[in-house]
Amino acid sequence: MKSQISEPKIELTTDLSIGYKDRLAVSEGGIELGSGTHYLLARNGRGKTTLLRTLAGVLKPLDGKYSCDGRCQLLGEDLVFDRELSAKIIFKSMLPKEGCREALELADKLELDIKKPYGKLSTGNKRKVALLMAEFSVVEGRSDILLLDEPFTGLDAFAREIFQDLWTQRDRGVLRLVSCHPDFDSMEMASSVLISDGKISHLSGGETPKQWGELKNQLN
Amino acid sequence: MQLYRLTLATIIQRKFWMVAFLCVLLLPIVLPYLTPYESNPTLIEPARAQAAWGVLWIASVAWVFFQAARFGDETARSGMGAYFLSTGVSRVSQMVQIWFACMTFLLPMVLLTVAVCLIGAMPGDKEQATMWVATNMQYAALFLLVIAPLAMLAISIGSRFGGTVGYIVPLCLSIYGLFGVGYLAMMTTVQENIFLDWVYILSPHYHLANLTPRLVFKQGNMVSAEFLHLIAYFVGLKLIISMISTICFRAKPAT
Repeated sequence: MKSQISEPKIELTTDLSIGYKDRLAVSEGGIELGSGTHYLLARNGRGKTTLLRTLAGVLKPLDGKYSCDGRCQLLGEDLVFDRELSAKIIFKSMLPKEGCREALELADKLELDIKKPYGKLSTGNKRKVALLMAEFSVVEGRSDILLLDEPFTGLDAFAREIFQDLWTQRDRGVLRLVSCHPDFDSMEMASSVLISDGKISHLSGGETPKQWGELKNQLN
Repeated sequence: MQLYRLTLATIIQRKFWMVAFLCVLLLPIVLPYLTPYESNPTLIEPARAQAAWGVLWIASVAWVFFQAARFGDETARSGMGAYFLSTGVSRVSQMVQIWFACMTFLLPMVLLTVAVCLIGAMPGDKEQATMWVATNMQYAALFLLVIAPLAMLAISIGSRFGGTVGYIVPLCLSIYGLFGVGYLAMMTTVQENIFLDWVYILSPHYHLANLTPRLVFKQGNMVSAEFLHLIAYFVGLKLIISMISTICFRAKPAT
């Protein structure tokens, strides 16, 4: 008998309004996201981070409602660990045993020096630590939501491909909402959430462009 | 308890805890020998107890408060607070986890101090020895009731106003409670002033938790009623400080 995996879900109502003091964006039509990887695309300052922070419960929406079914993890762009801790210690403190072992294995593949103090790592390697921590915090059988704010910043193409492959392999029971600024037109995006002209919309399904090169024209 | 483990790992990794532990363990043994003890060798043991508790007060106020304030500050600014909030760890739980990590290092230091007093300064007389043990236990309990809530305050203020303010506020509060209140008491006896009287009443009387003179002059332990009275006073103070800390703690930077 197959084990039952609960599915994570994010739902945004039609009138969800996000921002700090002033409104940055409002959702256009109800948006429902399920398991898998969804890219959050917008130009600078349009509200990508604000939307992620709102969905994570760190920031209150200005208006409207949303729901997240699953355990959220917000990996903010500003997330840093103590500069004296090594990646190995961070994983040991933050991850369950099995997750820690897997994280250390992948760190080796990613050429991340797990003994080097965090403060001495390059920007890209610091990002790897945070991404590995978030990825291997995911527990099988539990629905998980990863809200990743510009996870590719500073990562080389080799590391990025490894993470994207990992996401493809581990997409059951995990919802990833990834904000990013893709740097090559052929990047595949089966599902994307766009913030443009102060409106949040969801593009998926057969009619939708699948590659960044086509999608970027829709961003204003 | 991820934040607890992470904070604990950070303290261990910073390594200064070794200096604090060594000071608590060795200074009470070394310092009395730097005095002209030859004139009266019987004073070595009370001097050892005085040094042991003195070093513990200094180590706690200087190191534990500093660590606590720094962790509060870093959690709010580094994005870790927001990360843990998103995973469902409330801000109060975050504050308590950081506080537990700080207490994990404070407790062994208190135990070391008590051990130094019991092993290195125990009076030979059986009756005095019993009182010595009881006084040290009472001292340890009162000491923890003073330092533990102030460490929580350091975390909380550090998270909201930055590490420097977070460190200075509990530091000043403890110094005022230990020494300043005594001067205020003298002032209130010299001149009648209802304002000063109220300030005196509302001040934290941390000097009451300082049982060093009792040890040095071998005055014996407090009677149960007096001790319980003090415990009740400090538990009350702890509740107030914990409440302020809970309100003040911030897990994410101001937006």
